Amino acid sequence: MRPLLAMIVANLKMTMRNRGAIFWNLLFPAIFIVIFGMVFGNDQTITIAVGVTGADSEYRQQVTYVFTEGDEFDLHESTDRAALMADLEDGELDAVVEFGESADNAFPPAVVHYNQANGPTADIVNSVIQQVLMGVAQAESPLEVTLEPVNSDSVSFIEFFVPGIVAMSLMNSGMIGLSTTFTTWRERGILRRMRLTPFPLPSFLLARILSQVVVAFAQTLILIGLATLLFDYRPTGNIFVITIAILAVSLAFLAIGFAISSVARTTESAAGISNLLVFPMLFLSGVFFETDSAPEWIQPLTRLLPLRFAVDALREPMTRGAGLIDIWQPLLALGVIFALALAFAARFFRWDSRAA
Amino acid sequence: MANVSDPGALAKVHQVTTARTNSGAPIIEARGLTKRYGELFAVNGIDLTVFEGEIFGILGPNGAGKTTTLEMIEGMRKPDGGTIVVAGIDVVADPRRLRQAIGAQLQSTALFDYLSAAELIKLYCALYEVDDSPARIDELLGLVDLGEKRNAKVNELSGGQKQRLAITLALVNEPKVVFLDEPTTGLDPAARRSLWGVVQGVRDRGTTVVLTTHYMEEAEVLCDRVALFDRGRLIACDTTQALIRGLNMSATIKATCEAGSLDQAELAALPAVTGATVSAIGSQSELSLTTTSAQQSMIGLLELAARRSVTLGDLRSSQANLEDVFLSLTGRSYASDTEPATDAPASSRRRRRRGEAA
Ligand SMILES: Nc1ncnc2c1ncn2[C@@H]1O[C@H](COP(=O)(O)OP(=O)(O)O)[C@@H](O)[C@H]1O
Ligand SMILES: [Mg+2]
Repeated sequence: MRPLLAMIVANLKMTMRNRGAIFWNLLFPAIFIVIFGMVFGNDQTITIAVGVTGADSEYRQQVTYVFTEGDEFDLHESTDRAALMADLEDGELDAVVEFGESADNAFPPAVVHYNQANGPTADIVNSVIQQVLMGVAQAESPLEVTLEPVNSDSVSFIEFFVPGIVAMSLMNSGMIGLSTTFTTWRERGILRRMRLTPFPLPSFLLARILSQVVVAFAQTLILIGLATLLFDYRPTGNIFVITIAILAVSLAFLAIGFAISSVARTTESAAGISNLLVFPMLFLSGVFFETDSAPEWIQPLTRLLPLRFAVDALREPMTRGAGLIDIWQPLLALGVIFALALAFAARFFRWDSRAA
Repeated sequence: MANVSDPGALAKVHQVTTARTNSGAPIIEARGLTKRYGELFAVNGIDLTVFEGEIFGILGPNGAGKTTTLEMIEGMRKPDGGTIVVAGIDVVADPRRLRQAIGAQLQSTALFDYLSAAELIKLYCALYEVDDSPARIDELLGLVDLGEKRNAKVNELSGGQKQRLAITLALVNEPKVVFLDEPTTGLDPAARRSLWGVVQGVRDRGTTVVLTTHYMEEAEVLCDRVALFDRGRLIACDTTQALIRGLNMSATIKATCEAGSLDQAELAALPAVTGATVSAIGSQSELSLTTTSAQQSMIGLLELAARRSVTLGDLRSSQANLEDVFLSLTGRSYASDTEPATDAPASSRRRRRRGEAA
């Protein structure tokens, strides 16, 4: 146990002090979160899509007039209350204002339905709409305004984006990190040197993998923390399920990295092979956009990419609180990838760059 | 664990120091060692015996089979033939047990980046499950004169300092015998000399040292006994003095004939001369005599030159050394064989070009 722990600690120190690794594992994904978060993350706050329905009244007409004139509003008036509520649940509307019948000489009551999934944005939408309602009535005391939350499946951009970026960073550290490290160590005779010690080489590999799993969790926490600080990202979901998903994703990519280092002879070729696999996956696995928008013929292919399984395994639990049973398919796929890559590596991996 | 401050260990060190002239017990016995790579016999039927407490040098030009031999003894490569016993352990049958008993530094200094000298030593102590207290780490650093570099990262160390760190890493388990593969190759003369001091210090603590080198003078100065390798074969093995004593000469006399020339047969007939060659270099000729008495032959040569009215320039005499041993045993000059020994700069160039990886 003592040799293994010492080797894990040494590996962690080496990773922390390696600027290249820090860049690819942390800074690079963090930059994505910041840039994409700034471009797309706040789009709901620019215009408020509001639906109006219910009984007609002079008050309702005045309110609707404000919504049509104000640049920050996008008005959808309809008598079909159900259709408006469906749009609200899909995230196409930010709020629906429903007017009731007015009693004599009084303002009719209004109910504001809003989408809970919008998180902090929902609060802003509510306060703006309330201001409009009260402003039109020139009321000193609050009107009878009821806020009605709606549960929905719609996911904000940042919620959609963070799990994808976490998957990407686990892929980078697992595939590029492990493959280049092991190839360098073999090239420089460090693996041979280890063979001279009583520390078994499989334990040496285990120590590296365990240290990378620790790094993987740290990466996830830091990226989530960043999105929380900058873009009001609110992590949701079951910690246990998410932990299992991170573990599965991380181990699958580490096994692929190990497989790459078993065929690459030089550090350059290890980095080359890794990048060759990483880049197409980045764009075809739904990290940045849903793969529905990709060309028809390529769709079946994208469903088999390891990063796609990783994104699926992480995104469902992190956005919609999916349970283990909901993600059994991507988890199983990641397990199969892990086993296949490991078997491949066991067949071709060499500790020594020359024949003994 | 041997601690120099306790009386028992001191007595052991003393006994070992006096055992320099190989009265110690055999600690390595290799018989008929053979290793083939395709058609090439990298090592061809070598017998070696190393005694406890000596500095044993394996000397030979590049490609002579030094590393292959060393690594077979370390249990790193499987011999195609022969037997090796190190400290009572059958190396081929039990390489695992051997690892606890020996320490080794490989030809390429294989150190992790990003760790400090002290951290690396601590790591190796943990791998061998031995004491890794700060005092012990300081002792190991002091042993190779790296006390000042305790917190320096590997990439901040000079070539010589890296080698010294690699040597102390080979010592964390207090091995009975330590193997050093070309520890001074690529070092400048000052660093090489300081490394010789380190190696002698290691031996003086009671550790047997087996090292390889392609520097003749290093083997002469540093090693108690020398095994001379050539093309996979062991061509001689003894103390430097005994090897030279076995030669039919004690010195070489060289000179250039600046005007006129001298006859090779006449030179060979001079007193105490055992061999004479005359070679033309442009308009001049250069003569080279081997002799059992430099004084007698020199007098004879000067008289002959005076009689023939030949002016001798650049007249010099040098004591016989291992180069003469190599020449007399192989018929080839050692210097010309080691000329292509430029693999060190080439590999370091390759290393510089290579990007750093995680
Ligand atoms: N793993 C190997 N595969 C093929 N040839 C090898 C290998 N190791 C050594 N050789 C060859 O065996 C010979 C002896 O090599 P080596 O023991 O490294 O010599 P030295 O250490 O004396 O320079 C050389 O010709 C070398 O090219
Ligand atoms: Mg060698």
